[in-house]
Amino acid sequence: MRHLICFGNDLHGDDGFGPAVCRRLAEQPLPADVRVFEAGTRGLDALALFEGCDEAIVVDAAEPAGQPGRLAFPDAEICAEDSSLPGHGAGVGYLLRALSALGTPPRLRVMTAEAAALTPFQPGLSPPVETAVEEAAQVLRGWLGAERV
Amino acid sequence: MARVEINMGLNRVEGDLEIGVTLEDGVVVDARTIGTLYRGFEQILVGRSPRDAMVITPRVCGICGTAHLYAAVLALEQAWNLPVPANATRIRNLCLMAEGIQNDLRQTFLFFAPDFCNPRYQDHPLFAELMAAFEPFKGGLHRETLRVTRRVVEIVAHFGGQWPHSSYMLPGGVVTPPDERRVLACRAVLDEARAWYERRVIGAPLDEWLALDSAESLFAWLEAPARAASALGLMTRFTRSLDMHRLGAGIPHMISFGSWCDPLQPGSHLLPAGFYDGDSGRVQALDQARINEHVRHSWFRPYAGGRHPFEGETVPDFQPGGDRYTWAKAPRYGDRVVQTGPLAELLIAGDPLITSLHAAEGGNAWLRQFARVRRAGVELLRARRMLDELAANLDAPHYLAPPPGSERDGQGCGMVMAARGALGHWVKIKDGVVERYQIVTPTAWNASPRDSSGEMGHWERSLIGVKVRDPDDPVEIGHLIRSHDPCLVCTVHMLGSGRKLRFAP
Repeated sequence: MRHLICFGNDLHGDDGFGPAVCRRLAEQPLPADVRVFEAGTRGLDALALFEGCDEAIVVDAAEPAGQPGRLAFPDAEICAEDSSLPGHGAGVGYLLRALSALGTPPRLRVMTAEAAALTPFQPGLSPPVETAVEEAAQVLRGWLGAERV
Repeated sequence: MARVEINMGLNRVEGDLEIGVTLEDGVVVDARTIGTLYRGFEQILVGRSPRDAMVITPRVCGICGTAHLYAAVLALEQAWNLPVPANATRIRNLCLMAEGIQNDLRQTFLFFAPDFCNPRYQDHPLFAELMAAFEPFKGGLHRETLRVTRRVVEIVAHFGGQWPHSSYMLPGGVVTPPDERRVLACRAVLDEARAWYERRVIGAPLDEWLALDSAESLFAWLEAPARAASALGLMTRFTRSLDMHRLGAGIPHMISFGSWCDPLQPGSHLLPAGFYDGDSGRVQALDQARINEHVRHSWFRPYAGGRHPFEGETVPDFQPGGDRYTWAKAPRYGDRVVQTGPLAELLIAGDPLITSLHAAEGGNAWLRQFARVRRAGVELLRARRMLDELAANLDAPHYLAPPPGSERDGQGCGMVMAARGALGHWVKIKDGVVERYQIVTPTAWNASPRDSSGEMGHWERSLIGVKVRDPDDPVEIGHLIRSHDPCLVCTVHMLGSGRKLRFAP
């Protein structure tokens, strides 16, 4: 099994990138061994989503750094050291560290889109991040081999 | 005299709860707890079908959704006067206990104990032991707690399909019957948690630990090498070396709504409800009619004095610049400020060891944390009993369908002990929909702001008088705040430096 786990909060502007990608992919056919989860801002209980799979793909927003909407594919170990992914309290970095402390995690891949700005309590993605959702969905479909479905 | 005021910005992103303190010559002389987030769950429910509460209110919290579900369903069962079969109560209790074990172990070993690894303590004789046990992601206890607590909430998933935010209780019972497979699966999870707790947390059999009944017997018992090396032993030796058994008592009065409904005696609890009067030292019967909430220092539409939750309202009214400072109300019992949590729960229930320790040293930060570890033991024992009772009654009903016409207008309250203490839901139903809904959480009691008389809440009071050695690294305040089990990411503001320190979960 492969799990696609999307983090973020729709109510906080570009932090809604992960949930938007989740919805986009859920509209399309995916291989039978892929399960897609919207993990919201969940903390340690999201560890359960990393169980029962050989590979887990994490999708999240990244802090603004001058190029809104830019996709990046950081190493999971680096994300674990840097828990600065915004918006979720203890953060996805904390979760990834907990995951590796527990023993052998599944293969991990991470995809982020750079937020335009941190805009708490303002629903809706900025135009560049909105564009990045479609791009991200295409990349993920490629990773998952969904074109052949 | 050096008096330092706080520079307090209310940033809604960084934390949902902030604590501002004022230091004079390094001693805390004033404290304010600030809920920075308006939640609005009560307003969401107004005008909806009463049953919606069982889907919406478990979302109040990602840690204690089972407690909210339990309170919501009890309120409706009271309003509609519905009987509940014993097996439904057993399943509800089992799941609430599993959620409590999860919280008590995580709070203790993932959130409270890691502060012991602060470089401040590197010359402490226990530092190497503390690091080996509690260092985040590296210490043995830290890693093991992650694993054990991930497993234990599977018990909720067996009956509720998922955890957190599950909706498997409904008026008249629960949705899933016990069967052999579920009971065996839950036993396996519970047995594993208990074996770990005995081996690593207390270093002794559970029955022996729960049989301890006095302060003297505890300290003698902790002398044995296996117990001294256990997590409880290590934590006790270290925190008492910091004098935490003399700090942070807070408010002397306590409240418990009673733990776990008695499956066979509706209206009773396995551990009794009560109010502990800190002045007389006596436990009195709980009278829910005395509960009321003030908004004098909160950002809600003003009203005079306190209101009982059946007459309560939660209408936001942000008024910056004055003496109102929080999105939390101030619940009171009569005119008393109270605290709630595992210490209140076990003291009011008459746990002999907690009673003895409280009599000897009063309330304090160490005892609060110690009571949380002890409650995990009580929960492990009681959860096993629930499973044994289910196993002996597999064919008994788990749901009694409400008779037609029973879902009438009226009012009801549901009161439980959640992981962090007393939780109540109050509902009024009119014309078939929710007319009023009020939720009073444990953290509302504990992190309460000042009330109409200007009386501080429990956390605020507990910080007064604390000596802070290094205002840039106020680890003393961190220990105290964490001993309260703050339910939200908690930011503490110190001094005028603009410096913020975060105390999450």
